[in-house]
Amino acid sequence: MTRQSTLGALLRSQGVSRRAFLKFCTTTASVMALPASLIPVMADALEQAQRQSVIWLSFQECTGCTEALTRSHAPTLEGLIFDFISLDYHHTLQAASGRAAEAAREEAMREHAGKYLLLVDGSIPTVKAYSTIAGISNLDMLKDSAVNAAAIIAVGTCAAYGGLPMAAPNPTSAVPVSDLITDKPIINIPGCPPLPLAITGVIAHYLTLGTLPALDALDRPLAFFGENIHDRCYRRPFYDRGLFAETFDDAGARKGWCLYKLGCKGPVAYNACAHVKWNQGVSFPIQSGHGCIGCSEPGFWDSAGIYESIADGQFGTGPKLASAAVVGAVAGAGAALLARGKKEKKAAAHAANE
Amino acid sequence: MTLLEFARGPAIHWALIILVAGTIWRLLGVLALTRGGDLSRPRDAFGNYKGYRTVFSRAWPSSEFNVATRYQTIVAYLFHFATLIVVVGITAHIEFIQSLTGASWPALPNAVGVAIGIVALVSLLALILRRLTNPSIYCSNLGDYITWILVAAPLITGLMAFAHLGPRYETMLAIHILSVALMFIWFPFSKLMHSIWFVFSRAQSGLTYAHKGVQI
Amino acid sequence: MSTSAAVAPIFPTFEQVCQGFAGQIGMLRQMAPEPTLTDAVRVERAIDTLIAETNAGEAVWLESCIHCGQCTTACHFFQATGETKYAPMRKMDLYRRIYQREVGPFRWWYKLITRPVKLKELEDLQELVYDSCSECGRCTMVCPMGIDTASLVHHLRSALVAAELVPAELAALTAEQKHRGTIFGASADTLMNMINTIRDHYGVTIPLDKPSAEVMVLSSAVDLVANGNGLLATARIMNHLGVDWTMCSDGFESANFGLLSGDMALWRQQSESITTAAQRIGAKTLVIAECGHAYPALRWNPMIKGGSLPFDMVYMSEFLGRMAKAGRLNLTPIDGKITYHDPCKTGRRGGAFDQPRAVLQAMNADYVELPSGREYNWCCGGGAGIFLLERATRLRDESFKIKIKQVNATGAATVVVSCASCRLNFEAGRVKNHWDKEVASLVELVADHLIDTPAQAPAAKSSQPGVTA
Repeated sequence: MTRQSTLGALLRSQGVSRRAFLKFCTTTASVMALPASLIPVMADALEQAQRQSVIWLSFQECTGCTEALTRSHAPTLEGLIFDFISLDYHHTLQAASGRAAEAAREEAMREHAGKYLLLVDGSIPTVKAYSTIAGISNLDMLKDSAVNAAAIIAVGTCAAYGGLPMAAPNPTSAVPVSDLITDKPIINIPGCPPLPLAITGVIAHYLTLGTLPALDALDRPLAFFGENIHDRCYRRPFYDRGLFAETFDDAGARKGWCLYKLGCKGPVAYNACAHVKWNQGVSFPIQSGHGCIGCSEPGFWDSAGIYESIADGQFGTGPKLASAAVVGAVAGAGAALLARGKKEKKAAAHAANE
Repeated sequence: MTLLEFARGPAIHWALIILVAGTIWRLLGVLALTRGGDLSRPRDAFGNYKGYRTVFSRAWPSSEFNVATRYQTIVAYLFHFATLIVVVGITAHIEFIQSLTGASWPALPNAVGVAIGIVALVSLLALILRRLTNPSIYCSNLGDYITWILVAAPLITGLMAFAHLGPRYETMLAIHILSVALMFIWFPFSKLMHSIWFVFSRAQSGLTYAHKGVQI
Repeated sequence: MSTSAAVAPIFPTFEQVCQGFAGQIGMLRQMAPEPTLTDAVRVERAIDTLIAETNAGEAVWLESCIHCGQCTTACHFFQATGETKYAPMRKMDLYRRIYQREVGPFRWWYKLITRPVKLKELEDLQELVYDSCSECGRCTMVCPMGIDTASLVHHLRSALVAAELVPAELAALTAEQKHRGTIFGASADTLMNMINTIRDHYGVTIPLDKPSAEVMVLSSAVDLVANGNGLLATARIMNHLGVDWTMCSDGFESANFGLLSGDMALWRQQSESITTAAQRIGAKTLVIAECGHAYPALRWNPMIKGGSLPFDMVYMSEFLGRMAKAGRLNLTPIDGKITYHDPCKTGRRGGAFDQPRAVLQAMNADYVELPSGREYNWCCGGGAGIFLLERATRLRDESFKIKIKQVNATGAATVVVSCASCRLNFEAGRVKNHWDKEVASLVELVADHLIDTPAQAPAAKSSQPGVTA
């Protein structure tokens, strides 16, 4: 890990020009919907920013979130900012192991009490035995680490909303961070994995302004999760014209038509993939021919099949509707037969009255 | 469970169950009643079968009533056809029907669907306006108004969901599906059943009159 | 009548008949039977009657109304008054509620959410199903669901019979026919007196109680107690045709107050007395007098197995049309433009459209069809017993204006009817409105234009007082 004291020094040591750095600040500010006047402020603040202590807890996760952030082909500004923070504890990345690793966490918690950011990826099993680190259950470690954190950033859908571990039948009784910690500001950056820019953007915002950005109802930064994929999708005109790929290998698929019928969740998935894109803006799932699976949404794994379109009814059909028909038929026929009997009786009484 | 999950899951599911059970219940509960026997001799031995023509011939008023019923006939036709086209022509609807039945067909371009949806809504408004302004003719009851609202709601919410008006898309979509679920639930217990009764009712009268040699 | 110029008419003109009738009707109101049952029993019996009479057909009609309001454009009473209570669909409301509570597939639910029927509601219904519905069926012609409101109204009349809520005039006549077998006192003796009068004065023979005959002919109370010309005309035509005919003293009355009031038992009893007589004498044809509702009462009586009867039941206009088509009526041409009013019960609800027109054609009439003719004909407003109801006078008078307009549009000088009720109503309306049209009865018009060969009768002709103003 580099040891420069300010971010500006780090960037210069890596050969990043001031022009490139200002471009990054401009991009970040505009993506995060900050006023233009804040760009130089951000640039100055970032350049002068002291190393921020960060404790990164990995629970029931797949390391995909870390991978997305670190495994770029070329070093990026996002990656550099990530490098710049004082990642005091990250059991995947840190060199220390065993007792030394845990000691580092404890030291950071003590030294930066009330100031460190707690990043969490992965969901937390409420049954303690299911996942432990150094003999400490995930549950205890989270609660313990959260006490003196300035804020918590739940990175990835597992930490934010439970994700895959919480999907039915949820064998570990996993829950997201927000179910356990209620007395700290929590910001969710969901996605499977989340966009790296969303993670660094939030950190940059915090480094710059010392506050957390505006959030939506699901505690996601509005800057990255304010719009759905569908509204930003370059295939939207095909949707509007009613041109759809029916299968993954038909003419429509080759022509790049809308993937709505193939289960694309673009209309109900809120994320910045369609315009920020991945791999330095190279592509995103829809561009490579697969519908959005809505990974930034709570319960995305359970809510509907990946290849079922949004409009599909999500229920078992045949047997229940068939039994409804039978119930209706029996009730109807029964009502009619009873009415027939009643009618006969009344007719007889009527005749007797004559 | 999100609103959308509730709407396209249990809500629409139970609505369909009630729709199916209720409709069959009401249909059989009426059709399995006793048949009135008219013992009188028909005017023509096989003339009664001509009565079934009424099922089709009554699709348009006779020239005798053309002028008096013109507004209502034309607007009602606009409404019924526009609604039918929207129901079976919009991609999302076809997807829903396909998920239910497996059947599928090409959809209309969205712009056309929206235009026809607006025609349906406007014609429905035109019908309620006439109903409201001519109370002595329509003798409206609560059921008439509830039915109107429950039919208008899916049209309004569907158009809003498509246009991304109002709440976020998935919420609007959920509201749209819920409004349809309400309409499905209301269907078996309301005058919406006329979409089935008309066949039996016309046939019944056609036969009654054909028995006497009268074509109605 | 048009026998010999030497014979002076002794029967009153129809205008006089009409006036005389008004007096008789006035007396009916005092003769109406009082209710004998408790309110609760009356309501219960009304409900039970509807339960007993509701089949799948009625249920379908009650179920399918969508309150589209189009029936109001077809109803003469609504069009004449513009009052919402006369909208045809409203007549079904109480029936539907009873149906929903007692018979319908969701009756358990409707019992919870609807009010039980009260006697007051049945009393209010009286005006809707008697005074303001002639069961003409015109609303069925426009209803997009094809609902036969007239049939439903008839069931409601049955229910009101059970609830002892028949309007006074109809109740009095129903009771008279039920208990004494007469209408306006027209008994077998009255018939015999009329036959004797016609024979003595006009020299026209009417066979009575022949043990067997090809054709059995009915009369009606209107002809027997007031308008002798009707029976005289019938007799002259039958004799002209030379058919083997008779009248029967145990089955001569066309009018059926069982049908008019809704008393199904009386309807059946009255019809059966006639079909029994017809079977006894081995008739091949039963001719029903010009009395509109008598046609459905007999010919379309759903309780009488028509297919197994050894004779045809035909309406007078049908019989005349059949004879005219067969060339058996030898008639002088008729002067002036003429139009024909289809009585609801023989036209739209009876199907006898072509025959009366064939008769007029046989007279080389300058015939012009009514606008909105045939199946779409407007009711005169007096059918289904309404002519007898004093309370319905305003409705009758207002709706008759539609009729006047309709007839005036043809430019015809004479409107021919073939129904005593229509004719009484037309005559009353003509006098009240100083209408310059002639109202003629088909049977009397034919009798008036017969060319009798010497073998049959004297050939002289005179104008027939009964049909002129």
